[in-house]
Amino acid sequence: MLLWLWILIIVAVLIGGALFYYFNRFALLGNRIDNSLSQIDVQLKRRADLIPNLIETVKGFAKHEKEAIKAVTDARKALVGAKDIEGKIKADKGLEGALGRLFAIAEGYPDLKANTNFLELQRELTSTEDKVAYSRQFYNDSILSYNNLCKTFPGIMFAGLYGKKEREYLQLVEAEKKVVKVSFD
Amino acid sequence: MEQVHIDFRDQISRNKRNSFFLMFVVVCVLVLFGYVISLAFEPGFFFIIMIIAIVFSLSYTLLSYYNSDKIAVASVRAKNASRAEHGDFYRLVEGLTIASGMPMPTLYVMPSEQINAFASGRDPQHAVICVTKGALEKLDRRELEGVLAHELSHVANYDIRYITLVTVMVGMVAIISELFLRSLWFSSGDGDSKNPIFIFIGIALAILAPIVVQLVQLAISRKREYVADATAVKYTRNPSGLIKALEKIKVDVVKPEKKISKAVAPLFFANPFKGMASTHPPLDKRIEILKRM
Repeated sequence: MLLWLWILIIVAVLIGGALFYYFNRFALLGNRIDNSLSQIDVQLKRRADLIPNLIETVKGFAKHEKEAIKAVTDARKALVGAKDIEGKIKADKGLEGALGRLFAIAEGYPDLKANTNFLELQRELTSTEDKVAYSRQFYNDSILSYNNLCKTFPGIMFAGLYGKKEREYLQLVEAEKKVVKVSFD
Repeated sequence: MEQVHIDFRDQISRNKRNSFFLMFVVVCVLVLFGYVISLAFEPGFFFIIMIIAIVFSLSYTLLSYYNSDKIAVASVRAKNASRAEHGDFYRLVEGLTIASGMPMPTLYVMPSEQINAFASGRDPQHAVICVTKGALEKLDRRELEGVLAHELSHVANYDIRYITLVTVMVGMVAIISELFLRSLWFSSGDGDSKNPIFIFIGIALAILAPIVVQLVQLAISRKREYVADATAVKYTRNPSGLIKALEKIKVDVVKPEKKISKAVAPLFFANPFKGMASTHPPLDKRIEILKRM
């Protein structure tokens, strides 16, 4: 009789512990997804914020490259104006292309190329490009761990219990992964 | 053929467990040392020596645990990296912290012509990453990024806690056994209060302890390097940067570093003393594994 009581208590504790553990696990991984999504946003905004400065610098040296400058300004406007994250990422792609062309043109202006401000901005922009890619990668990684938890035993039981569903990945166009190369060497 | 099994979560909990175990063992060893020394020299002062030994070993262990990053950085004369001067270094690490979801470590640069780097600290919230001046000058962005990703992996996998603790402990055991052996030399011949059996045990311990610790030190690093390489690729999704960096190190001709103490060698990206009994797996082997990814 006493033995049965003990077994009952142990089982109850185990179940309680598992409920607790998986609740926290889902909360933690879910938060990570939300966090990493906002990180993408932060990086895209940073990128957009760098552009006006760059345009000013370029105008100082290569005023008559109106077309290339306008392309970058327009692409930035599209990025700032985009509503959802997919739209922003798409706009960012356009910005990347416009910037690539602008940097290529800058190669023809030795004074601009030697300008420390310009160089610094160029490096900063290249690195935010990496950071955007990395934040998206981390977002998808976070979703992967969340979905793994939802899909594998024993997490799958608790996912049903807590009403947690698999999350959607950010759609990556394969070509996007090949970053436009801005070479400055 | 060394098998490289990689489960990151396993690696982390193993490192945490081993770190705790190591600290525990070292405290015990020090107390044992105190015990043997007190019996060998002055049985009358047994309790005083024991209390000193316990207080000393506990405080040394805790101090080194909480200051491991500062000790490591100071021992190689590294300086805080400034954002203005080392912009790329900062930007690359920032990108990698985003890719790995980790907090930003403190960055240092050490004056050395070698291409090398190390990470230290007790956990990711208190981590440092230090690169040599040579690495910043000789590596391009992608290569440097690979090296930094490798170091950040050591942080993420809690290798830094374990390796730094081992490093500090190695130093301490070496110092104490040295002190003991020397004190024997100088005090020989006076009085007959000494117990020859305990002196013998003491000598044996003093000789054996550093050797054992050295073996532990050699064993810890090799597998960790492969795991860190793999984790680095998980962050950057680009093995070629790391591969090229390793290849550059292979052909880089610089004098072996004299300023780096042997004790901190396992912390480094590549063995700072070329050709020495190595704490690191051979570069060719690492390159080969990376190429298969």
